[in-house]
Amino acid sequence: MSFRKRNIGLSPGVDRTAVPNAATQPAAPESTPGIRPSPDDGRPTTSTGTRSLDNLLAGHAGLPMGKLLLVEENGTTDFAGALLRYYAAEGVIQEQKIHVVGVPEQWGRSLPGLIGSAESLDEKRSDRRKDDRMKIAWRYERLGEFGAGVAGSRDAPATPGAQDPAAKEAPAFCHAFDLTKRLTHPSITNMTFIPVTPSKESPFLPILKRLQTAISSSPASTIHRIVIPSLLNPAMYPPDACHPEHVLQFFHALKALMSAHTTRVTAMITFPLSLYPRSSGLVRWVELLSDGVIELCPFPHSADATATSGAATSQEEPPQGMLKTHRLPVLHERGGGSDQNVGQDWAFILSRRRFEIKPFSLPPAEGDTEAQDASAAGGMPKKSDLEF
Amino acid sequence: MPSQPPLPPLLAPYVSTLPESSLTLASSILGATSNWLVLRFLHAALSSPSPNAAFGADELQTGIKKKVVLVSFLRSYDFWKTEAKRLGLDLARLVDKQQFAFIDGLSELFYAPDAATSNTSPAGLGSSPRTVLPLRSPPGAVPGKTLPPTAAPPKGNANVTRAQAEPGIAKKLHFTGRGLAALDLMEKDIIAVIEQQKSSMEDGDELVLILDQPDLLLAATGPSMGIGATEMAEWVTVLQQHAYATVLTLATDAPLIHNASVSAGQLATPIEMEHAAFAIGLAHRARSVMQLRTLETGAAKDVSGVLRISRGGGWSAGEEDSLEEKEVLYFIQRDGSVSVFGRGES
Repeated sequence: MSFRKRNIGLSPGVDRTAVPNAATQPAAPESTPGIRPSPDDGRPTTSTGTRSLDNLLAGHAGLPMGKLLLVEENGTTDFAGALLRYYAAEGVIQEQKIHVVGVPEQWGRSLPGLIGSAESLDEKRSDRRKDDRMKIAWRYERLGEFGAGVAGSRDAPATPGAQDPAAKEAPAFCHAFDLTKRLTHPSITNMTFIPVTPSKESPFLPILKRLQTAISSSPASTIHRIVIPSLLNPAMYPPDACHPEHVLQFFHALKALMSAHTTRVTAMITFPLSLYPRSSGLVRWVELLSDGVIELCPFPHSADATATSGAATSQEEPPQGMLKTHRLPVLHERGGGSDQNVGQDWAFILSRRRFEIKPFSLPPAEGDTEAQDASAAGGMPKKSDLEF
Repeated sequence: MPSQPPLPPLLAPYVSTLPESSLTLASSILGATSNWLVLRFLHAALSSPSPNAAFGADELQTGIKKKVVLVSFLRSYDFWKTEAKRLGLDLARLVDKQQFAFIDGLSELFYAPDAATSNTSPAGLGSSPRTVLPLRSPPGAVPGKTLPPTAAPPKGNANVTRAQAEPGIAKKLHFTGRGLAALDLMEKDIIAVIEQQKSSMEDGDELVLILDQPDLLLAATGPSMGIGATEMAEWVTVLQQHAYATVLTLATDAPLIHNASVSAGQLATPIEMEHAAFAIGLAHRARSVMQLRTLETGAAKDVSGVLRISRGGGWSAGEEDSLEEKEVLYFIQRDGSVSVFGRGES
């Protein structure tokens, strides 16, 4: 009796669950390349083209769609520009539409060349690292590999479990680029360059109009990236651009545009802090109007790089600057502050092949090598004495 | 961890009892936003009392129906809808029941998309640099010309589809013209919505007006467009008169407040001066000020920030319900629930 009943109940039940699943799956934006649901709350995210930056973004493992990331930079270096180029190059690879504001087309020709997916690069590195793995103190191993931060917890089990074939079939979410090469890709023509034209009213008005037209007239499946290098840089923008009524209205309208097409647009803007310090009210409003705010503070250049930097060992590359997260997308919109990445000290390293963000740690005390040597020769107990 | 009640008990007395014609100020900074607090205000006013609570609740509480008009300048309706759903508030249903109205100050505030955008769709796509200026009334236009703002938004199919796609938005605000005239137009729009809500109200019902970050208006226009702290403060006063109680959020980041003071030793820009004047002026009028900020000692994994509740200049000692000043910590979990606790507790 009970056996029959259960049988009858089960079979339609299975069908019922299967059908909505089938219906929702294609509807989810996962089907479009370069978009995947956030491991945190399932909202669609896209890659910034820099894996460690993706992982910094409050557990979403990518930049959530409809969000605007502001990258501020101190000094005259252009690390933020490198991040922006990765972001644009990633968009080219994912065949998204890219709108670049304020720079000529040469900018688009200088995008970094593709190496492969970010995973493949990581595998190579970890192969190389395997040999000297035992040298790393076991309790720091996790930190070294954190590469992924929060999101790593999601990626890590997938890679050994799914194994290579599955990983290769799935289109890569994030790619690795080489700054010394130039990107060649058929969809590089997908970039549009919007010049800053002087105007009687706000200089941002024509820019907004073009963005609005391009986004609202494109098919619903097109994903857009808005790239604005060095906003308000006087070399590109007219002097009246930095009036609050122009730039803040532009940000507000950009926010409106992005919330109207919330699953199709992301934006990344770099901002020179040396010209517009963070302590000014205008910059604070620009930050308040952005969904994510990241500040890069490059270390002053010094010839004796390893001595001043925070590299724990000589094998490690010395960090080139500090990275501060002031606001993270989605997390801070809700109230913020609970993410484990917030409040950490971050350092960044830009090398030819990657922009890496890792926890900053102070180097061993400088000039103490003599003392260490002396103690090693004399008073320090032999290794065998410590063995137990 | 046990699931938190939507309204933390420590917070409940401050967000649920709003005396008549009171102004409550919620201030936020870059790293500690006030959206969660606004949601708590929404919940306190709109949630139907749960069956359990109804037994113990006194009649005064159950008899009063509250309505809310939310004017948001920085967040879209979608954001409020999804976040409210996490608290068990169905805003769409409340809109149907005329308990809640949303006024959109984000999507078309400064640049209303004109009908031309939809016409040029096939040819557009940025093939040629479009330098066509938008159909926006020039600054300093004759007041008579800018008067019909409700008719100003684009007509035709673009408008129709947008209206269909976004039910639940009572009104979209437009900033047209400049100065007081522009503020007056928006004021009229908001008051129209408030009056519409009031029309279905019975005696004793309360209407709470929540203004979410109107300071953006001030920052993005400023004295050069004829709007300063005085104008904004007056604008808030007029709106306040139409509501039973008002909740207002604004940013109080250090550069926006302290740069204007003489001791800063530098010349303050108009945006800083006006913002400081606006914020301080409101704090003097408010009954209570709820200040959100991050921990001074750096970030912590189980604390999102500090909430300081203090009496504002508008608090009078003769009030029957006393307002206890308090400083507590709060923590927002990943699921959106909030726990509020004193220092040293958890």
